[in-house]
Amino acid sequence: MSNKRLGVVVDGAFNSGLTVRLDPGVTTEQLRIGSFVVVEGQRNRYFSLISDIHLKATDPRLLSDPPRATSPFIAHTLSGTSTYATVEVRPMLMLEKPDESDPRALLEMRRGPQPVKTIPIHFAELREATELDFATVFGKEGGVYFAMGTPLTMDIPICLNLAHFVERSDGIFGQSGTGKSFLARLVICGVIKSKVAVNLIFDMHDEYAFDKQTEDGRWVKGLRQIFGPQVLIYSLDEELARRSGRNADVTLKIGLNQIEEADVILLSEELNLRQTAEATIGLLRDHFRGQWLLKLLQMTQEELEEWCKNSGAHAGAASSLQRNLKRLQRQEYIVEEAPFAALDDMIESLDRGKHVILQFGRHNSVLDYLLVSNLVTRRVRQRYEEKTRRYEESKNPKDKPRPLMITIEEAHKFLNPAVARQTTFGIIAREMRKYNVTLLVIDQRPSSIDPEVMSQLGTRITGKLTEERDIDAVLTGVSNRNALRGALESLDTRQEVLIMGHAVPMPISLRTRQYDEAFYQAMGAPEASQGPEIGIRDLFGED
Amino acid sequence: MRIGEIVETTSTGFVAESFTLNRPPPLGSLVAVSLPAQDMEIYAVVAYGQTVGLDPGRRAVRRSTEIVFDEAIYHEHPELKHILRTEFGAVLVGYLAEGQVWQHLPPQPPPLHFSVQTVETGELRRFTDHLLYFRLLLSYNGPVSPLQVLAANVREVYRQRGSDRAWLDVAAREIATLLKNDHEALLTVLYAIDPGEASAIAERRGQL
Repeated sequence: MSNKRLGVVVDGAFNSGLTVRLDPGVTTEQLRIGSFVVVEGQRNRYFSLISDIHLKATDPRLLSDPPRATSPFIAHTLSGTSTYATVEVRPMLMLEKPDESDPRALLEMRRGPQPVKTIPIHFAELREATELDFATVFGKEGGVYFAMGTPLTMDIPICLNLAHFVERSDGIFGQSGTGKSFLARLVICGVIKSKVAVNLIFDMHDEYAFDKQTEDGRWVKGLRQIFGPQVLIYSLDEELARRSGRNADVTLKIGLNQIEEADVILLSEELNLRQTAEATIGLLRDHFRGQWLLKLLQMTQEELEEWCKNSGAHAGAASSLQRNLKRLQRQEYIVEEAPFAALDDMIESLDRGKHVILQFGRHNSVLDYLLVSNLVTRRVRQRYEEKTRRYEESKNPKDKPRPLMITIEEAHKFLNPAVARQTTFGIIAREMRKYNVTLLVIDQRPSSIDPEVMSQLGTRITGKLTEERDIDAVLTGVSNRNALRGALESLDTRQEVLIMGHAVPMPISLRTRQYDEAFYQAMGAPEASQGPEIGIRDLFGED
Repeated sequence: MRIGEIVETTSTGFVAESFTLNRPPPLGSLVAVSLPAQDMEIYAVVAYGQTVGLDPGRRAVRRSTEIVFDEAIYHEHPELKHILRTEFGAVLVGYLAEGQVWQHLPPQPPPLHFSVQTVETGELRRFTDHLLYFRLLLSYNGPVSPLQVLAANVREVYRQRGSDRAWLDVAAREIATLLKNDHEALLTVLYAIDPGEASAIAERRGQL
């Protein structure tokens, strides 16, 4: 166990953090921005992050006239004495040390790390964090504690508290190529394994259900292959659903009767709708109620003109709306009338503890994705609201709805400032926590997401981001932004992430866990050799 | 080994007359004065040396000829041994009392006419394991600059400790800390105590 002293506290303020002078012999290259260190105060232990590193000299003349061609002896002597380094350290959590002179105090229940309320005094020692420190802060793997990876400098698991994770909406961000979908799989596996929530995944690019080849050429398993029949697969694409070995459980159809005004407004950009569309749809709805879309699409040119005269709608606007909406009708998965039963079955499965992946197959245009996920989520939301109300009335624990986590990719399409107020996702992100529904938002452009939604995100897991606005967006509503900004900028593009927020006691940079055979085993996946049996269980159910 | 007798003494240092003409102890070397009555040993660092006539008013005159010069002059003029004297000044740097080394000024100056002695290697190691006495050396005012006295002391101790590189590195860092606000002074000392590449290579060979 390393317990290496790095330096002593020489300056600081509660608001701006501590300044630590590094000991001679400790080079700045040993330390990383954002790494986890410990300051030993007299009564408290402060778990802290390195937020900045400075180079200094005791005599400014040395800087204006650095020694030239000096011998190694002189260079060695000057470094760490006349020329030295300080690091800025932000205490994030503190832990009261037990009074070792009092044996009773040692036996008492120890309180975990608390938010920082004070700072240590001069010459408190800064040291590297030990395994024990990590375990004290991040908890031991098991139960709701799910190992996400290891610290950058050490090889011990760092855990995410999944119970906290699913309590609020969360975000996974990062430039493309930083492994967002692997991270999402990792987290979802943890949620499935620990049973803290059920998942509904809108799988735009078909990457969650079955095995998939990574950029380095390995094949990695999908959720269905790891968790078997616990995961149900719904598909919009009939052809895809029939593929052998990768078949879907249910093919989903969407009825024109299920499409509402808000769904169409959300698609304004994709369908090229004009500003007048909203008013026209309003009139149609007044007239035809739930059948408005079907009726509109069935009307002939004459009927439409007739209707416009009667209702006072603008004929040009109405016919252009009709033209544009025909595109919906042409989608293969859209039928004139579909019962809500299929969707409600899906919600019942969720309620029984199954996890649902909705695959889009060939229908993976933004139009399909926006329409279907918004529509499905609206139904889910309605049912969850009903369930919650029933539970509030009966107070019967059996009625308590299971927490649900909805995963959406390209989240900015639903949550950009222009539409976030209207989409169901916007509503969930802002207030659905009380109905036990939360979002797992996956995006590469967090700056395009409504700041109000961003500020509601409980836990943020982010890979490398370089765009200034994206970094600002990810750090919205986070304290110690400057310290974290440095940590974020210094992440590697592959496998390194910064986790901050509700599910971790303090922000931390991690090297993410390998998504490999050992991981499948840890998740309880059957051995690869047992392949055929899974097929049988898939066919005939678990009994 | 007795090497001189104190002829002038103050709280910060003393002047002693060397028993050997022209051969005062090396600059920077550690010397001691024993006080058996108090069970005390006072340590000092040689800060300068000089050889002058007994009569301070009279200057020495030239004595060499074409054939008699250098060492031969002293054979030709045996009386010189009686009219010249070699003195050295030393600055007090600490003492040993009750079995413990202290690196601050002793309570009293060493008594006049007491003997000045060389310090054994073991004793020197024990005293120089701590470097607080560098501060006393730096505050000394004498004919030789305190920086040069300090550098001479470090060189001398390094040699007597058997080219102890670890000690030298610690001493150099201590000096760097003491002279942190005066970069030029620091470099003056460091250049004067740099063992050079040769020693580093020799040391590496020794390790292999």
